[in-house]
Amino acid sequence: MRGTVNKALITGVTGQDGSYLAELLLSKGYEVHGVKRRTSLFNTDRIDHIYVDPHESDRRFILHHGDLTDASSLIRIIQQVQPDEIYNLAAQSHVAVSFEEPEYTANSDGLGALRILEAIRILGLEKKTRFYQASTSELYGLVQEIPQRETTPFHPRSPYAVAKLYAYWITVNYRESYGMYACNGILFNHESPVRGETFVTRKITRALARIKLGLQECLYLGNMDAKRDWGHAKDYVEMQWLMLQQEQPEDFVIATGVQHSVRDFVNAAAAEIEMKIQWKGSGLDERGYDQNGRCIVAVDPRYFRPAEVETLLGDASKARRKLGWAPKITFKELVSEMMREDLKSAERDEVVKKHGYSTFSYYE
Amino acid sequence: MKRALITGVTGQDGSYLAELLLQKGYKVFGLSRPESWSKPNCASHLVDKVNILFGDLTEDHDLASIIKETRPDEIYNLASQSRPGVSWRSAPETLEVNGLAAIKLFEAVRNHRPQARVYHASSSEMFGRSSSRTQDEETSFHPVNPYAAAKVYAHHMASIYRDSYGVYIANGILFNHESERRPQHFLTQKVAYGAACASLGIVNSPALNERGRPIVEGGRLALGNLHIARDWGYAPDFVRAMWMILQQEKPTDFVIGTGDLHTLTELCEVAYQSVGCDWEKCVYGDPALVRPLEPGQLLANPTKANEVLGWFPTVNFEEMVRRMVQAQLSHLTQLL
Repeated sequence: MRGTVNKALITGVTGQDGSYLAELLLSKGYEVHGVKRRTSLFNTDRIDHIYVDPHESDRRFILHHGDLTDASSLIRIIQQVQPDEIYNLAAQSHVAVSFEEPEYTANSDGLGALRILEAIRILGLEKKTRFYQASTSELYGLVQEIPQRETTPFHPRSPYAVAKLYAYWITVNYRESYGMYACNGILFNHESPVRGETFVTRKITRALARIKLGLQECLYLGNMDAKRDWGHAKDYVEMQWLMLQQEQPEDFVIATGVQHSVRDFVNAAAAEIEMKIQWKGSGLDERGYDQNGRCIVAVDPRYFRPAEVETLLGDASKARRKLGWAPKITFKELVSEMMREDLKSAERDEVVKKHGYSTFSYYE
Repeated sequence: MKRALITGVTGQDGSYLAELLLQKGYKVFGLSRPESWSKPNCASHLVDKVNILFGDLTEDHDLASIIKETRPDEIYNLASQSRPGVSWRSAPETLEVNGLAAIKLFEAVRNHRPQARVYHASSSEMFGRSSSRTQDEETSFHPVNPYAAAKVYAHHMASIYRDSYGVYIANGILFNHESERRPQHFLTQKVAYGAACASLGIVNSPALNERGRPIVEGGRLALGNLHIARDWGYAPDFVRAMWMILQQEKPTDFVIGTGDLHTLTELCEVAYQSVGCDWEKCVYGDPALVRPLEPGQLLANPTKANEVLGWFPTVNFEEMVRRMVQAQLSHLTQLL
């Protein structure tokens, strides 16, 4: 029997998906616990709007300090919270960075998932606690079929993807061996206005907004031919919740089934703020010019990955068939919302600057 | 003189490989944890021939300095937590040793010895519950235990270091390979031991199993699922394949196996028959020894190794089992 108030524990609660999922679960009446790492700078921007002061009574949103690389912190938090559902969204989630920090990536993304599964088992919560593992379309890497679905063989192309593949298999193994309710959501790219600033979609919308207002000269990108299946994070977290409400735990691909190139994304984002980009040249020399002939987009090979993933396209028919899930927000609406929000913050920066105050400049 | 570094030199494969490379005129370095070397091990007899370096694969500093010091032309990464069954009880440690240590090694090679050729020991366990009847280099993985999941991790990372940085790393996906040097807790060795005990009339064996009971107790040997079948090869044949893999111009992965399947009952039959005993009177299946999740039926398709390397096994199943039983017999006779 499940208790009257469902308790959920979210790792990676300060991230894009964590913040949307926390909102969703709060709206469904859950008591939501989040794990956050101690960092030298504040990292709670995305959840500040749902934060509840510890001095208030009847808090339903509670943060805990913890770290996926620290098994004892996970055991302590899970012991304390006794969650009905755990959503493991925490990860070193940047593909390019994983080439520079392969070990840390394996430790947090691969071993991290295992530590949670072990904690559930050690605490004897196998029958009570349901586990969601955030798997990723990057597992498909060098794709073996198009589009990719649950049965497509994996071919990871980055330390990030390999670490995530370990977490995928260990989740399957714990489900099959110990009968735990544990499942993988294989999510294709999902974006939003709170996507991390170093991810390509957010980098584009943020840069175009700043270029429009004269705060930045040029946007440098890597492989503009890379094709991705981009959905909205808000749609996808609903699916994460749905996956834990089934009779049997199963893995699901979550995707829109529509693909765009990075260049397409730039064009769509520019169109939202009445900019038209004219492309000239190809390969390393490809450049995008605005109406006034200024070069505002260029290629910088430093953003090429050592091994590229050229194309990802998901087939979410299983999710549609079994869970009745379908994305509600279109590509155009996604780009439009991201552009609008980044334009707002660029405008804020412009005002602040005009009055002689300094703004935060974020650099990679 | 070529220089080779072997991790896991104290194990079955490491010791056979060291012998092979010495015979080929290599200068051989072996990496071992001090506690592994200080005990009698498979490579103890090579003490004057192999240069043993103490270190731990899970320590970056050890690896970097050892690679700089030894300047190897070839590196054979054989060290691992090698027991799938145990990996359920030590999943995190298994990933540390079988997964993370491998990338520490690849990283050290990339930074300090990029011209070296690396052989990485992958395993047929990665195929797990494979949907294909036979497995080759293109077959997709379906690991069913933490050992196999960790091996999949290292296997893919090896490909990534090869494709992304041009490091010469080749994976050998080896199916089961046994020998007189297999540790006692491995299935084939248990059977060989059981047959030797039966031959000598030993009712309660001196050697104990994982549960601290005599391996042969009351004249009977307890095994898990008797109906499993495996592609079992002979380890000295397999280490020859490792060396051959690194002599190729371009690094690619190879499946190494015999391509023949034998059941556990067949293994028992050959072993006990070789000493004139009836296995059915001496062996029984114990449910407590069955793994939480048994892998599916695995059978190597070694066509690529046959054609590209010209590699074929030289010792067949029956001969291998007889050798293992004989080795156990002479060992036990010395004890008595």
